[in-house]
Amino acid sequence: MSTNGTQVTDAVKDTIYRSCLFLDDENWNDFLELCDQTFHYAIKAYSPEIRRDMTYFSGNKKELEVMMGILPMHNTDHSPLKRHVTVYTVDVEKDGENATAVTSLVVYQSMYDGINSHIDAGENHLFLIGKYIDKFRMDGDRARLIDREVRLDTRRLDKGSHYII
Amino acid sequence: MPARNHKQWMATPPLKPSEWVDSRIYSDPEIFEEELENIFKKVWIPVCHESELSNPYDFRTISIAREPVIVVRGSDNQVRAFLNVCPHRGMMIERRPSGSFLDGQPSGNPKRMTCMFHAWQFDMKGNCVYISREEEGYQDRLKKEDEGLRRLRCEVRFGGFVWVSLNDEIKESVEEWAAGCFDCIRGAIDTEPLEVFHYHKAIIPTNYKLWHDTNSEFYHDYMHYHNRVTGFNDEYFARKNVAFDNGHVNVNSFEVKYDEYEGFESRAELSFPTFPPNQWYMIDLFPGMNFNLRGSAYRADVVTPLAPDKVMIEFRGLGLKSDSPEDRMTRIEHHNSIWGPFGRNLHEDLIAVTGQGTAMRTGTEPRRILHGRLEDGYIHDENGVRHFYDQWGKWMNRTPSNPMKKYMAAAE
Repeated sequence: MSTNGTQVTDAVKDTIYRSCLFLDDENWNDFLELCDQTFHYAIKAYSPEIRRDMTYFSGNKKELEVMMGILPMHNTDHSPLKRHVTVYTVDVEKDGENATAVTSLVVYQSMYDGINSHIDAGENHLFLIGKYIDKFRMDGDRARLIDREVRLDTRRLDKGSHYII
Repeated sequence: MPARNHKQWMATPPLKPSEWVDSRIYSDPEIFEEELENIFKKVWIPVCHESELSNPYDFRTISIAREPVIVVRGSDNQVRAFLNVCPHRGMMIERRPSGSFLDGQPSGNPKRMTCMFHAWQFDMKGNCVYISREEEGYQDRLKKEDEGLRRLRCEVRFGGFVWVSLNDEIKESVEEWAAGCFDCIRGAIDTEPLEVFHYHKAIIPTNYKLWHDTNSEFYHDYMHYHNRVTGFNDEYFARKNVAFDNGHVNVNSFEVKYDEYEGFESRAELSFPTFPPNQWYMIDLFPGMNFNLRGSAYRADVVTPLAPDKVMIEFRGLGLKSDSPEDRMTRIEHHNSIWGPFGRNLHEDLIAVTGQGTAMRTGTEPRRILHGRLEDGYIHDENGVRHFYDQWGKWMNRTPSNPMKKYMAAAE
């Protein structure tokens, strides 16, 4: 890999890991700062029950910004989601300006509400597993997210969540 | 009155007995077992949608009241249902959630349902067509012609849903069972074929009736910020809950102001045949199914009770089979922004019934759970819940407000 390719790869990994820290902290604004204006986000899964690819959630940067801003108006489960990721692959395009990354994703829920907080609060339980399939465009020495597909393996999501993954 | 002592807390509420239930109906293991036997094994259950088995030899597996069921589409395009149980040694025949029998399997041939255990094979009509080493083992004592699967009553109705009953003696067709409650959306769901685009399931630590109760009363819209801002107006409060025979209820429509929710736009550009834009009808079908036609998306919930305090809810979203890719994507976005696992409202509903389930676990003291709002049948009247429990009492021969007593007419 060229020196430039290595720099792009490092920048991509840095953006992915930072995105997880910001999302873990429910720091939506800083997460969106990592994203290009054209950013598009989607949570998808394949259902063997209906034998179709499904989109569970989607939105562009503006829509996510509005949605996150309005979250305090909603009743929600207060249990934070914590991500554990490993970047598997980063493929840099020949132009050195664009890249695609595949990242293994595990999300735990740190129970705060739980079923009965007296009993469950403090427990971590597996919320979902899947992958991030991310596309990036270089902006100086930073890799900005232009597309994130959260590809879920988990389809039994029980109460679900108001948070993006 | 200040906070009550135990005697005051347990006192009979100043309402008619038909206007509350005893919480033991949500937690008593004996009542739960009776519900499976007396209700879920007796009525029509919508188990899946025909688009989930769109080709001959496609199948879906599900369960009703713990009984494994398989639905298959035959070469004649007919959808049939059977117990998913081999008559030989009681093994579940098909273990996958869905698929096609066009492919052969390790123990059997293409176009056959094969029990992997001893390779007994069945055709799409449930006939046993092969018993391995039949004559050697059974001589003339048992023949494959007599070893067909257990067939189940099965109909495809109301927008292409596949309805199954474990009850051979059920007197009513699905049409008769629904008693007219689908008439309000008939044109929308039966003018042209529908197709499932969304499926997910939730297992929630609550009683199945608490989920159905929530679907049957709109008073809980106070919980939903989205519904308050897009709904609470004169037209919303003019909606009525309408009771139908067999414990079913539907809710009149009104025009939802989607654009009142920040970030949302009007959904008027996409609807269903004969269905005015941005309308919202809802059907609550006894004993726990919900059909929800809201603007551009159609949602159906099916409950599978697992224990007094555990229910599986399957959520489906549907559009028109003829949708363009763009329209389909719009329907998906509209559906999931409210009803998906990451949507605005579904999460709130599931939190609420989880909290109820926690507070009414087996062994908690019997409480009075109220549904006594009387508003001439208008939207926050709880007549839908009362109608359900009157029907429940008949099926169970128990009085909902005192389930240890036999059912009394109208439970008054």
